[in-house]
Amino acid sequence: MFSDIKAGDTTPTHNHSSVRDWIVGDACTIHYTVMEQQHNAQESPTKPSEYDPDINQDELIKAQEKQIAEEIKANTAMIGSLDDLSTLEQEYSNDPVYSGKVKTLLPKYCNVRRTRPDGNCFLRGFIFAYLEYCIHHRDELARFKKYLEGSKEELFEMGFPKFTTEDFHDMFMEVVSDLEGSGSVDRVEAVCNDGGTSDYLVVYLRLLISSHLQKNAEFFSFFIEGGRTVEEFCKQEVEPMYRECDHLHIVALTAAVGVGVRVMYLDRGEGAAVASHDFPEDSTPVIHLLYRPGHYDILYNKA
Amino acid sequence: MCEPQSALLLRKQLAELNKNPVEGFSAGLIDDNDIFKWEVLIIGPPDTLYEGGFFKAHLIFPREYPLRPPKMKFITDIWHPNIEKNGDVCISILHEPGDDKWGYEKASERWLPVHTVETILISVISMLADPNDESPANVDAAKDWREDYNIFKKKVARCVRRSQEE
Repeated sequence: MFSDIKAGDTTPTHNHSSVRDWIVGDACTIHYTVMEQQHNAQESPTKPSEYDPDINQDELIKAQEKQIAEEIKANTAMIGSLDDLSTLEQEYSNDPVYSGKVKTLLPKYCNVRRTRPDGNCFLRGFIFAYLEYCIHHRDELARFKKYLEGSKEELFEMGFPKFTTEDFHDMFMEVVSDLEGSGSVDRVEAVCNDGGTSDYLVVYLRLLISSHLQKNAEFFSFFIEGGRTVEEFCKQEVEPMYRECDHLHIVALTAAVGVGVRVMYLDRGEGAAVASHDFPEDSTPVIHLLYRPGHYDILYNKA
Repeated sequence: MCEPQSALLLRKQLAELNKNPVEGFSAGLIDDNDIFKWEVLIIGPPDTLYEGGFFKAHLIFPREYPLRPPKMKFITDIWHPNIEKNGDVCISILHEPGDDKWGYEKASERWLPVHTVETILISVISMLADPNDESPANVDAAKDWREDYNIFKKKVARCVRRSQEE
């Protein structure tokens, strides 16, 4: 699994009761969770498990993954409401490591907006936070629109199929033009929570990342694991929906679009403070995201 | 939005394919009122065993297209290692990445949202010319293909002949 999920963090630390509570990370972690559950079930003394050749374990896992994904879809908005940061503190009231770290965020940040953990959380969080920023910075919206206009030809040059690429592009342009006219945070919220539109924006960002990685393949090839080429990496980890974003995706996206992002890493790593990283390095971040192993949410700076 | 994005995209592709047909296949709808159910006619690719055949197949798109792939099923009988006896096409680009059942195939060939009817059919046509016997859907056809090529040729020739009569 190409992801910087840390083993100690993917396993739940409390006794959770329902399937939904189990899920702390994104789609990618579901598989792990399901296997763990099945493993535990097999150890139960009341139900000795025997190998049944008529049951396809892969299909069982797939069915359960699908059920979990459906449950997440039904219960979590793609972009949630603006919550006070104290809700995050409450979430970890029984966890001294996390609650201690959350406290160090309080002087800098005031709010959090949760995203749906479906493997697209980084990209959806990015789009929402950036478009929201653009609502208050019209010159940036104009710059982005210009960039977006030019990006289509670039993707064609990289060999992306014209038909679908154009469709994703046109949708993004429509959204940006609409925001230029009647832009409001409510409007951004509506757009990012409309399934068809929101997913299309995510797909287009994935194409931009893929294109940037492939254009700079020589450089990025050093960071790709598993003996894969940059192109293979893009086809497996970047272009498909519901694949989680890792460092490489973030480096590529922020460089391609020219938007600074600060990620605050809330995990069980050493130290009392939450580590942070700016993409691209030395940039001034306009978006702040909270990372917890396998998942990204949006943070709001204190004014 | 009164019509889902997937329907709009499929409608555009259908119009484009009617205006500028692509060599090797033709495409239409099974029922004019349902844009999610396509019928395609694939012309057996030249210089292959399937040359001269006309193979009818259905493409059933999910509402989440192009985020998720369509399913494809041959209606005309066809003998091929990667097509099940009931006509279901087992080609890796019609499967999503991380789909474990198909874990033995290279993930680089999986479904991507940029795929169109045209790119799907190009892959299927190339599959006809070049079967992948590592993951056969029709084990008997794969066995023929590997072990008794003459029998394989005969069975395919029979399918081609029948397809011309339909």
